[in-house]
Amino acid sequence: MSIASTSSTELFATDEAAAVEKLHELGCTDGLPVIVPTSERVARMVLATGYDADLVLGEMGPNLGECSIEKVAAAAVMAGCLPDHAPVVIAAVRAVLDPRFDLTEMQATTHAIAPLIVVNGPARDWCGLHGGFGALGPGNRANASIGRALRLAMINIGGGRAGTSDMALLGHPGKFTMCLAEDEGNSPFEPLHAECGFDASQSAVTVLGVDSPQSVMINIDADDPTCADRMMRSFASAFSNVAANNASLRGGQAALALNPDHAAFLHGQGWTKAQVRERIADEAVVSAERLAASASYLGRKPEVDWQLPCFTKAEDLLVFVAGGGGLYSAAFPSWCAGPHKNQAVTAEVEVGQSCEIPGFAT
Amino acid sequence: MALVTTEFWAQGDFIARSVGLPDVPRVELPHPVAGSGAANLAAVAKQTVPLIVAALRGDA
Repeated sequence: MSIASTSSTELFATDEAAAVEKLHELGCTDGLPVIVPTSERVARMVLATGYDADLVLGEMGPNLGECSIEKVAAAAVMAGCLPDHAPVVIAAVRAVLDPRFDLTEMQATTHAIAPLIVVNGPARDWCGLHGGFGALGPGNRANASIGRALRLAMINIGGGRAGTSDMALLGHPGKFTMCLAEDEGNSPFEPLHAECGFDASQSAVTVLGVDSPQSVMINIDADDPTCADRMMRSFASAFSNVAANNASLRGGQAALALNPDHAAFLHGQGWTKAQVRERIADEAVVSAERLAASASYLGRKPEVDWQLPCFTKAEDLLVFVAGGGGLYSAAFPSWCAGPHKNQAVTAEVEVGQSCEIPGFAT
Repeated sequence: MALVTTEFWAQGDFIARSVGLPDVPRVELPHPVAGSGAANLAAVAKQTVPLIVAALRGDA
């Protein structure tokens, strides 16, 4: 059996099981079994991208590995992707290769951070991506495989391996995979990619390095005129507590996944998404005195108790709708470091590159 | 000249190779250094300065 590894070195094994063991031994996996990227499987995945195998998308750090379509296709095969998923994987890779994403620094940091992939547009449907109950949990192939493909590319092309180049002190489970669809069908708001300048009919991925999600309990009370304001304070506190880098380092982007019930409630109360962002940004402040009283603070205790904003501008909070309806929405605090201070990048999912082949996606 | 603590030495090697500077001068510091107190920092500095000079001279 011939294996086209993501380092472009052809490997050989006697059978499928031996090939998987070989990939484990070489540190090419995320610790879980992978689909063996045989030359034939990789070639099929390359075809599904619509690009030439040797097209180079960029250098992926910290290894500065040459990120070719073929290597990304190998990662997608290993992750268990279907060919239909390939354009989304390519878009996610292009997003993290954007210099604004600071992938090299993100891979190397000691902080626990991983790329969150939010998919918008028709790609959600053709890939079978899920944005409802448990969208970030186990059980959905597209969500799991696409996020995992990006991680395997970051390991095998970018060289991010724990303790030598991925220096996250503990890491978090989202480093295996963290991909979901925005639940556009249950959202009263403009979809995330449309806010980034894309037409709603286009498909796009938005990738942001984030901490693990924090469930935020919200008890809706339609009879209480202060309820929406109180919701904003609850969300803001997820970013402004001194344990979050958004409070100690400040100035990066972060994300909030509103569940459909919470989104509908806010919309019904007359709130726009822009107003949600603005209010949370206004509320997400930490006092210098409180910060200085914690061990998260670098520097001397300030003489004046400044109120320090967690967000430089309201647009730095990405808001989208996902998850099941109920008590909890989810906040994603972030790293707030690197040359670009933890920026999100949105990339179009390019679908005009390939022709349809009957039975190809099965 | 890069000063790298023991815990991050392997990462230093990796990055040096990645950026095409495998022989960039580096000096190893004990880990942790950050927050270890002024007395310890002074002791580490005293111990390290000769190593830095030697590395810059190419003697290390």
